[in-house]
Amino acid sequence: MTEGMIEELPMMGELLALLFFSPIIASFPIAIAWGIDPRPEWARKLPVLSVFGLFVSLCVALYILFNVGELSPEAEPIKYTVYWLPDFNINFVFIFDYLSKLMGALTAVIAFLIGVYGLEYMRDDYRLGWYWFFFNLFTASMLLVVYSDNLLMLLIGWEGLGIASWGLIGHWFRDDDELSYVGVLKRKVAGLNMFWSPSTGGWRAISTIRIGDMPMFFALGALFALTGNLNISEIPWAGLEEKIGVVGIVVLMAAFLMGPFTKSAQLPFSEWLMTAMTGPTTVSALLHSATMVAAGTYVFMRLSWYIQPWELHLEGYEYVYILVLFLGLISSLYAALVATSTRERKVLLAASTMSSLGLMFASAAASYWIGKFAVLVAFWYLITHAFAKATLFLVAGHLIHETHDRFLCGDMEVARKLKWAFVATVIATIFLSGIPPFTAYWVKSGMDGVMHHLEHEFGLLPLALLVTISAIYSGFLGKFLSMNFFKGKKVHLHLHGGGIMSTAYVLMVSMLIVILGLYLTSHEEPFVEFFHEGLLPSSFAVGLIVLVAYSIGLFKPQLESPIGQFFSDRMYVMFLNDYIVPKIGWAVAKVVDYGNMLIDFTCHQAIPQMFEVYSAGIRFVQNGSLERYLRIVIGFVMLIVVVAVAAGWIV
Amino acid sequence: MMLEILVSLIVLTIAAALSYKDYRLSFILSLAAIIPVAASGNAIYSALIFGVALLNAFSLLVIRGNHIAGVDYAMIAIMCIATLYAFIATDLAVMLTLFVVVSVPTYLLIMVSDREMKVDVGIKYVTFMVIATVLFMIGAVLLYSVGVNSMIYSIAFLMLIVGLSMEVGIAPVHEWVPDVFSSADPIPVSIVASLAKFVPFIIAYKIIVATATPAIGPLILVVGLIAAASMFVGNIGALTTNDPSRILAYSTVANMGYILATFAAITAGKEYIYFAIAGGILQLFVNSFGKIGFFTSIKNGGTSPITAYLLTFSFIGLPPLMGFWSKLFIIYSLVFSSYIWLAVILVLNSAISVPYYVRLARLLGTGWKFSLANAVVLFASLAMLITLIPPTWFVDVMSMMRGV
Repeated sequence: MTEGMIEELPMMGELLALLFFSPIIASFPIAIAWGIDPRPEWARKLPVLSVFGLFVSLCVALYILFNVGELSPEAEPIKYTVYWLPDFNINFVFIFDYLSKLMGALTAVIAFLIGVYGLEYMRDDYRLGWYWFFFNLFTASMLLVVYSDNLLMLLIGWEGLGIASWGLIGHWFRDDDELSYVGVLKRKVAGLNMFWSPSTGGWRAISTIRIGDMPMFFALGALFALTGNLNISEIPWAGLEEKIGVVGIVVLMAAFLMGPFTKSAQLPFSEWLMTAMTGPTTVSALLHSATMVAAGTYVFMRLSWYIQPWELHLEGYEYVYILVLFLGLISSLYAALVATSTRERKVLLAASTMSSLGLMFASAAASYWIGKFAVLVAFWYLITHAFAKATLFLVAGHLIHETHDRFLCGDMEVARKLKWAFVATVIATIFLSGIPPFTAYWVKSGMDGVMHHLEHEFGLLPLALLVTISAIYSGFLGKFLSMNFFKGKKVHLHLHGGGIMSTAYVLMVSMLIVILGLYLTSHEEPFVEFFHEGLLPSSFAVGLIVLVAYSIGLFKPQLESPIGQFFSDRMYVMFLNDYIVPKIGWAVAKVVDYGNMLIDFTCHQAIPQMFEVYSAGIRFVQNGSLERYLRIVIGFVMLIVVVAVAAGWIV
Repeated sequence: MMLEILVSLIVLTIAAALSYKDYRLSFILSLAAIIPVAASGNAIYSALIFGVALLNAFSLLVIRGNHIAGVDYAMIAIMCIATLYAFIATDLAVMLTLFVVVSVPTYLLIMVSDREMKVDVGIKYVTFMVIATVLFMIGAVLLYSVGVNSMIYSIAFLMLIVGLSMEVGIAPVHEWVPDVFSSADPIPVSIVASLAKFVPFIIAYKIIVATATPAIGPLILVVGLIAAASMFVGNIGALTTNDPSRILAYSTVANMGYILATFAAITAGKEYIYFAIAGGILQLFVNSFGKIGFFTSIKNGGTSPITAYLLTFSFIGLPPLMGFWSKLFIIYSLVFSSYIWLAVILVLNSAISVPYYVRLARLLGTGWKFSLANAVVLFASLAMLITLIPPTWFVDVMSMMRGV
């Protein structure tokens, strides 16, 4: 960082402190009040303060977006360093580049809107202090991940996300409300419970994430040991391969990416995301749009942004990017298939998120062959998806609130009575599925182009997968709309309030229209390219396929089939989480137990007994007979003489 | 110094003669006889040795019906004078004489008890001592008369070591120790375990320093092995017995093993010789005060838990007690003369010794009653606190010893 740049950033330290700490500090009043005396009426007004903290963060994020440096993919990143351990080159390094500025603003906007929604949604909850503290910690952690250039600092935010997600997913820790479960209660398959309580959901989330965080942590250590630098934008990525070879790079990057893979719920670590739906809907909305799961893909994009693999053409990175490309596509296909057959509102959306995340990974991974454009496609897809998905979750939460049913249900009456929810759902599903000429269509066209360009390396496989996924994806979005507002079973509505909630999601969904305007009118990269791709006949053809799929989903949302049950049971991937891994765990515990028993036996029996035997043996000599003693003495003296002669020989 | 010794001996003769009149006169005169010699030697060394002798003499007062009352104090005084003189003796003949002078009085003392003379114990003890003295003397004389690079030298060296081992009770020729310690009266045993131990070691140090070179590697290895064996035999032997005398007997075997280990350091590296000797002699002081304290407690039928634990912790080697510093010096000298394995074994043995020393404190720390014996125990345990001043001064004193 040069001197000049410091002058360009007046008050940056204070601003960043506001950005990260205001949400956390603002959540203290409610957390403390609730800790002292749960459920006082006056304390129920304190969450407004927490939301205000989120609003402060939003203001700072917007200020950074528009005032710090130039907003262009080609702009030089601006960095701000708070020195911590300069001798070890470990400092709080904040980076403001195209990705972080947009992502930070996105996070702050969505967190704020969901916070507002939460004021009404969580009004009567029994654990408000816990909820708001972790909600705001969640947001602050994500912002830290977003703006960090230093990996160690990023890791702090990363772990903050982990702990907050555990707290929020398991928020309803009493497991006493059927509405908060995932799966059909009491249902079993092959002896395994096919339903999950909030506390199980929280545990599954944190345990899965930790499995990825450990290798990531070691990879970080290795990076520091090898390069002495932890700033993503400064690590000599190209030199690294020369240093540790192809295998070294593959191992290192795979270990590092275990973190993003688990956080972003790629196969086979997807189960936790499905049962994360046991948390409050606001949590699901935040978790699925701009924080947590997005953090994984975001970190991968940021890495690619600075590794610039398209410039390097190194074998090791190529293997890594191939891995990510296909893992993303396969995860996406899996999740899309699961989503088609899911009967629960939020689980359907969860599966769709996982599908989208797969596409983001795949698209960003394609940057190895395509260049920066692929990362931009992935990034803009992330943004589009974030608003749409947050909207859908908030609507789903509202619907669950009004219908007291977490399964897909509702007919025209729901659409009539909850007009705004209906409108928001229509816009969100259409804009997200990629129907021309709506928002996601343009960015999906860009993605079509990216996958098409991979023809030389992988044939038409990536493109074919993408088109298939897109079709299925829009199909279940249509189904979601249909099953909630047209063709679902009739429900009894418990209408009460909902004004704040609908305001929040209407605002959220309107962001999609703003972005559409941006795509259509902007003369900047990458929007020009999106527009250009969108005008290609091939893209239009894909758009038509998507439209047809959407229509099928809309008009024929249900189809009985054994395959449907298989998909609905998420292809039984939960056996990995709930059966295989615990079995391994128990096996390890068994081994440890045997080790323990061995130590116990050694310390409490073998060694004492050995000493007892030897001790008695030593004293056994003493029988009082002088004759015996003299024999021993003479024998020893003779032995010593022999030894002395032998030693004299040597000397 | 010859003059002072002459004076002392005359006083002692008078003291012994007066003992037929009144043993208390003899007591006072005997202790007074030490003073001229003590005053002319190194102040600190003299004070410490005199302290040991004083405690021995006072503890002898505890014995009722002593057959040789009066003479015994004179014998303590003679041993004390010999020990004091050993500090400056360099001549082989004088040193061997001192060896005998310290050894012989114990032949008689060990038989002393409340009722009759314990002759069977005496026979066992004397037999060992005679063999030990013969081996030691032959070894010493041969060492001085042959060159380093001969087979006779090896034999002589090891004879000296075996003689020393029998004299002080190092495994595997320690058999007299458990028997004598548990069947003789505790008070004479405490004298055998304290005042009688200094001279053999000091003389052995001087003889080996005068004659050995680092070239005798295999012989030092044998010494190290004997030392290690003695530590293990002593500590493991003591580990599972509940008889305080037995515990102390094996504890002596172990402690003598620690001290024998310093011989490895002395011959291997000349730079750390003072640390080795200081460690060895300081360990002898620890052993002396400790044994006087514990054996007198046995005689007394218990002592205060505080004094008992003070002695125990010193034996275990907790800072800042004396036992910590002695072991530290020994380990230090071993490590820097590349006998790390021996240092490790020593540390290991210190750990093994913890349970039985604590058990000893529990068995003997039954309660304080004011008595002469308890006063002796108290002073013995207070002596362990001398090293509250870190005993680099002790190393300086040892560096003033003549002939090393």
